[in-house]
Amino acid sequence: MFEGVEAFYRPTTVREALHLLRKAKGTARIVAGGTGVVPGGDRSVRFLIDITRAGLSYIRKRGGAWTIGATTTMAEIEDSAEMRMLAGGLLASAAAACGSVEIRSMATVGGNMANGSPAADLAPPLLALDAEAAIAGTAARRKMPLADYLAAVCAGKMKNALLVEIVFLEPSAARGGWCFQKFGRTAVDISLVNVAAGLQLDARGRVKWARIALGAVAPLPLRMPAAEALMTGRILDRALLAEAAESVSDTVHPIGDIRASADYRREISRVLTGRALEQCAARAGYSL
Amino acid sequence: MKHMELRLTVNGVAKHWTIAPGDILLDVLRREGYFGVKRGCETGECGACTVLVNGKPINSCLMFAAQAEGAEILTIEGLAKPETLDPLQEAFLDRGAVQCGFCSGGMILAAKALLAHHPHPSEAEVREALSGHLCRCTGYRKPVEAVLAASTKKRPARAKAAEVSR
Repeated sequence: MFEGVEAFYRPTTVREALHLLRKAKGTARIVAGGTGVVPGGDRSVRFLIDITRAGLSYIRKRGGAWTIGATTTMAEIEDSAEMRMLAGGLLASAAAACGSVEIRSMATVGGNMANGSPAADLAPPLLALDAEAAIAGTAARRKMPLADYLAAVCAGKMKNALLVEIVFLEPSAARGGWCFQKFGRTAVDISLVNVAAGLQLDARGRVKWARIALGAVAPLPLRMPAAEALMTGRILDRALLAEAAESVSDTVHPIGDIRASADYRREISRVLTGRALEQCAARAGYSL
Repeated sequence: MKHMELRLTVNGVAKHWTIAPGDILLDVLRREGYFGVKRGCETGECGACTVLVNGKPINSCLMFAAQAEGAEILTIEGLAKPETLDPLQEAFLDRGAVQCGFCSGGMILAAKALLAHHPHPSEAEVREALSGHLCRCTGYRKPVEAVLAASTKKRPARAKAAEVSR
């Protein structure tokens, strides 16, 4: 499948990886877990650059900000005591929902983002956490909102850049709740729809802010600003949850394919959003 | 075709192989005679090609061989001692969890990795650990029973006695 590959590199620093990427002039592929690159089977690849030895496997906290290195595996996120606590375990539960045990010990957060799949399970939670992507490329290292990074990947503009790490702030825990929901045919299936939601309430049960992001319902994983806005400032009750879920199903524009029809995905978007928000409320200690 | 050197340990034995830079680990292992590593779907869905790399179960159909440089690999061939089977292999036989055998190697290695970290898993944990393995003959009940049986067998005598007295 990869007969045309002339060299396999295992750089030990990001600088070395970038140098190799530049030298290959668009004929190289970055590899981490391999779960995206190998089944992709791109025969035009001439050079493979394995970044799993470049020192990018870590979960760290600096000040109030969390940093996850690009080659951190799903299993490492799933098993991390800190990630199980953070935002009610939002990221850990999304990582745990991704593929089989075998896939999770290979697949990385960086690959999950750089692969550009609209169904990437870590994308909705990271979007809901307002994460940023740190990119190294021909220019200096820079940070951009993860949503912009995903859009750039989708547009094919990130081929000569390396995703180094994901950064996000620790969300406030007071009267807040988070939830990840995934729907697939089987436990190991690609998501037909996935949802990450979070909200914070004030002492009277008014929504201070809501965050909702969905995957597999558009060419890109998306935040749902309309649904978030309609919830903000209002008392949380079942009618408001239904209204937000309805708004989400109006906003998504899924495709129909071999896995599910567009209508079905839209309906699942409504149902999963409702479930996710209900869970958020429960975890915030609020009874509807 | 360019070539490169690969140094790794397979089933406790140091190996030095010449590979192509785009070689997949599954192909290299089978080429070197480890036929217990099965070629199934080749897309990471069936689990038949599972091996342990540094103790972690992975789909060898999704890993470039070059990524295994310096790694310790365990294939199903390396699990039994010359005269005795691994308790998991015994349990799979006792429970009739093997029919055609194509999925068994992968399942047993996944179970081996599970028991290394959780010596006494719940049924749900066993099912989760085996979720990446497709069986087309016996189904999943017997393999799950076998893993649970192996985990109980391994339990120290004292823990067992405590359970009986309860």
